[in-house]
Amino acid sequence: MEKKGRKVKKNVIAYRKKCKANGTGLAHYVLLDKK
Amino acid sequence: MYQLNRFNTADGLQLQPIDIGHKDYIGVISADTAFWALLRKDQISQALNGSLLLRKYYRRLEVFGEEITALRTGLKPSAVYFNPTDRCNLNCSYCYIPKSLRKNGRHMSSRRLLEALKILKTYFRSSLPKGQKPQIVFHGAEPLLNKGAVFSAIDKFGQDFHFGIQTNGTLLDSQDVEFLKSRRISIGLSLDGHISSVADRLRRSWDGRGVSEKVIESINMLRGYDNYSVICTVTKENMASLIKMVEFLHRMEVPICMLNPVRCTLIGSRKHKPLDSGIARHYLQALDRSYQLYQKTGRKLVVANFANILIGIIAPLARRLMCDISPCGGGRCFFAVSSSGDMFPCSEFIGIKKFKGGNIFKDDIRNVLETAPFKSVKERRIENIEPCCRCAIRHFCGAPCPAEAHEMNGSIETRGAFCELYVDQVRYAFRLIADNKTGAYLWDGWDKDAFTTFKIR
Repeated sequence: MEKKGRKVKKNVIAYRKKCKANGTGLAHYVLLDKK
Repeated sequence: MYQLNRFNTADGLQLQPIDIGHKDYIGVISADTAFWALLRKDQISQALNGSLLLRKYYRRLEVFGEEITALRTGLKPSAVYFNPTDRCNLNCSYCYIPKSLRKNGRHMSSRRLLEALKILKTYFRSSLPKGQKPQIVFHGAEPLLNKGAVFSAIDKFGQDFHFGIQTNGTLLDSQDVEFLKSRRISIGLSLDGHISSVADRLRRSWDGRGVSEKVIESINMLRGYDNYSVICTVTKENMASLIKMVEFLHRMEVPICMLNPVRCTLIGSRKHKPLDSGIARHYLQALDRSYQLYQKTGRKLVVANFANILIGIIAPLARRLMCDISPCGGGRCFFAVSSSGDMFPCSEFIGIKKFKGGNIFKDDIRNVLETAPFKSVKERRIENIEPCCRCAIRHFCGAPCPAEAHEMNGSIETRGAFCELYVDQVRYAFRLIADNKTGAYLWDGWDKDAFTTFKIR
């Protein structure tokens, strides 16, 4: 579990991650498991 | 490098401020690249004045733009939503499949189903990189009405496809559950409430009987299996019970759920549509509750449709659901096949004949993907939709859904329902980022294949 909040408020928060795009879900169904 | 202090003018960086409803932070978003930053309200001037943030973003501007372009235009279909039958044993009043089909439609024979999968196997072998296994999701109507055909297809093609099944959960017995679990089939069930008086309001058999007790039996049979989810369709009939629903699903140890606002594609569903303001309040309270339960027990109930929006912000390419990006995934990440073999960009279009692109038994799949109905969906760009074209969060929402927009508004070049709910979800997601709480809302391992490309924190 995460802590409820950070102690020091950063002036700026900005981050981004990248991976291969392969989403195929839609609102009626979500496929998460890829094993 | 042009002067960084010219942002929001001429060719300068575009950064739209948005109020995220946080006491300490405000958001800025560069909509075209889906880049964002949260700025401390008392430090906005320093953060934007030729700062590290702008310098770093400028260096990544092109790459981020290419990322979003690739997400929006560079993907190939790798999944098929396959209806092995038109029929359903239920008559849910919000279903997007026309009633006449669900009542009087036909099953696809086992022979034809195997033939279709053989065609799809050949197609994907030529279209996907070697080693990438495509996905077949048996969908409906109710796929388990044609259980024999579905299960024999899973057995015959288990090495060729990842299989999933979305079922109303009323026809599962313990043998079926063992069959599906032993093959790691991804299973989705449908349940709209924590008690029968809520769950059975709109989900009923043809003779009017509620079915939630049987669905809960199925959930009990799946307890401990990590590859299943429960969809709760949110309407004005059950939105006030969403907190109770989250508590119930968590108590039942359901790993993942979706709290989906009702799709308003068919007229029958629209009378159950809640107002945006009403659903948003209950929806966000339900998210709060899922967080509290995680804090209390250490066990998550992931609300996948919200998690997908959060991931779309943190790691745009990692999103799993493809409704919330423009163009949506219909026809370009997946397509749908009806029980007669007719092909549509998405199962949401199955009841709308003009969006049929061809037939899997008669037409070459490659050609179908390039037909006018498919292209109209694949080329539906948010830049052509008002007011979404000016919206800062347009690549976190995508103005879903084209089928819904077409049926509600007469054109797919309009926005779908629940605009305000999307805005409120995005603002909520940014508050979680500000408070460093995102992990509590995402499934474990969601980023195992992801790496960080930008960080100021």
